[in-house]
Amino acid sequence: MNPARNRVAASAIGIRLDHPDPTDRDRLASSTGGTRCGRLLLAVWLCVIVLGTPAAHAEAAAADPGRAGEEVEHSEAASDRHGCLRCHAMPTLAYRNPESGEIVDLSIDREGLAHSVHGELACIDCHRRSYRRYPHPDRPAPGDLDCIGCHEDDDQNLSRGWVDIDAEFKRSVHAVSDSPKAVGFSCHSCHDPHRFRPAAVGEPIAQIVRNHNEVCLSCHGKLIAPTNTSHDWLPNRDAHWASVRCVECHTPVADFANHEVLPAEKSEKNCVSCHSANPQLLARLYHFQSEEDIARSGLLAKAVFNEAYVVGMSKSPALDRLSLAIMGLMVLLLAAHGVGRYLVRRANRRG
Amino acid sequence: MTSLYLYPAWLRLWHWINALLFLTLIASGVSMHYAGADWLMPFATARVVHNTAGILLTIGWIGFVVVNARSQNARHYRVRFRTLIGDLIAQTRYYMIGIFRLEPHPFHVTEAMKFNTLQQLSYLGVMYGLMPILILSGWAFLYSIYLPETLFGLGSVWVVAMTHVVVSYLLALFLLVHMYIITTGDTVFSNLRAMITGWHRETDAPRTETTAPARRETP
Repeated sequence: MNPARNRVAASAIGIRLDHPDPTDRDRLASSTGGTRCGRLLLAVWLCVIVLGTPAAHAEAAAADPGRAGEEVEHSEAASDRHGCLRCHAMPTLAYRNPESGEIVDLSIDREGLAHSVHGELACIDCHRRSYRRYPHPDRPAPGDLDCIGCHEDDDQNLSRGWVDIDAEFKRSVHAVSDSPKAVGFSCHSCHDPHRFRPAAVGEPIAQIVRNHNEVCLSCHGKLIAPTNTSHDWLPNRDAHWASVRCVECHTPVADFANHEVLPAEKSEKNCVSCHSANPQLLARLYHFQSEEDIARSGLLAKAVFNEAYVVGMSKSPALDRLSLAIMGLMVLLLAAHGVGRYLVRRANRRG
Repeated sequence: MTSLYLYPAWLRLWHWINALLFLTLIASGVSMHYAGADWLMPFATARVVHNTAGILLTIGWIGFVVVNARSQNARHYRVRFRTLIGDLIAQTRYYMIGIFRLEPHPFHVTEAMKFNTLQQLSYLGVMYGLMPILILSGWAFLYSIYLPETLFGLGSVWVVAMTHVVVSYLLALFLLVHMYIITTGDTVFSNLRAMITGWHRETDAPRTETTAPARRETP
């Protein structure tokens, strides 16, 4: 019998066949009164359910094969997650790495995972092979936990594909640095796959900025300590930190290579890259605000707020043009007035 | 030739410091507003220059308001409401028509009143209307983090930015007109000289024997 179908049927009556639990068995036994007759009845009932469920599923699949397949997949994934989270949802699950002596946190936030972009996946979709069984192996097998391996093909509608991201990362200071801290740096060093969720349309910019910067600060937190002087050169430093993502200045300005994190000395320090009529950095910062978002805010707001967020930008091109036109006209009028006065006086002197 | 001492030293000093600050603020303000072009000040320099000049302008403006209120100069800012409309029409007509016919100036500068009505209204508008708005919006920029998120349903920083920009354009327009109007004195440079020496001078020679001495306005 297909073990996956068994799992489905078992989960329907609250029993896990792949993770037998002595307490569950005891409870079951006591609920039936422990009699031979009761046990027999239970065995028959279980057989009916276990054998009957695949038949019912087969009927449903015949009626709507796509949907039924999806449902089975979802419930399989849910069942798989549930099994893993029985241990890994414990906030205190951790071990001490015998080599480094550091505590390695193995706990996973159930809520965070549910809301993450990977919330619908089965754990073993990423943690493959030997992670199906307990005890787990010491280290993942090659090919496990490979982001690009899964995401290689899903870049059809993205402005920046996963292959580009991989190439950017390989050029980044995180990948090329000789620092011992950068050894073993991978996608997961920044992006916790159990929590990761891309910015949603309409989410407040400040929140998006905070979420992004939290990733950087989880390692580089000492940079924002009051005693740290690394960003003292930056005018209105705290305001920048609240409104601008670290990567806006710490990745190349010319394109959207958000994963090509630059060393500090190569990071952007030129104010005009943002504060100008052609602000590439600003375009990056707000590029994830979709057209739907603008449409939702309304046309008036779009016209009024048009590129109005950064001091020194052409805040309202229409106002600038109007003002300069009025001043130009005034200069012409005054010049004409002056010429008129000169001509009259000259004529008067001659006359 | 009559000479009137109309511009005491404090006023002239304030005027020229103000003028210098105005030009500095325009140069640095334009450099930030249109940042990126090669012929402008670097943004980082313009920012410091603009903020410093703005702070000095604030001090200068407060100084002007205080000293002006306590000195004889205040009387020049009292509006003559009874003759306001007639004076305005006469003054406007003079600049548009009379000046080209070499007519005598409709306004006579005295120690009690050195401004014609148009001048008086524009200086009142500038010093007690536009300048405080400019200064307040400038300081609001500096301390925008203490502003509420929105003002009148619009983003605070945007409201502040637009107010500052609009008032700046209006004051730049005032500066243009001001620099032209001072050439309409007795001679092209007589009003400029008056603001340097303090003495308003004009020739007594009337254009006709029967009319009173023609006077020109001071800036």
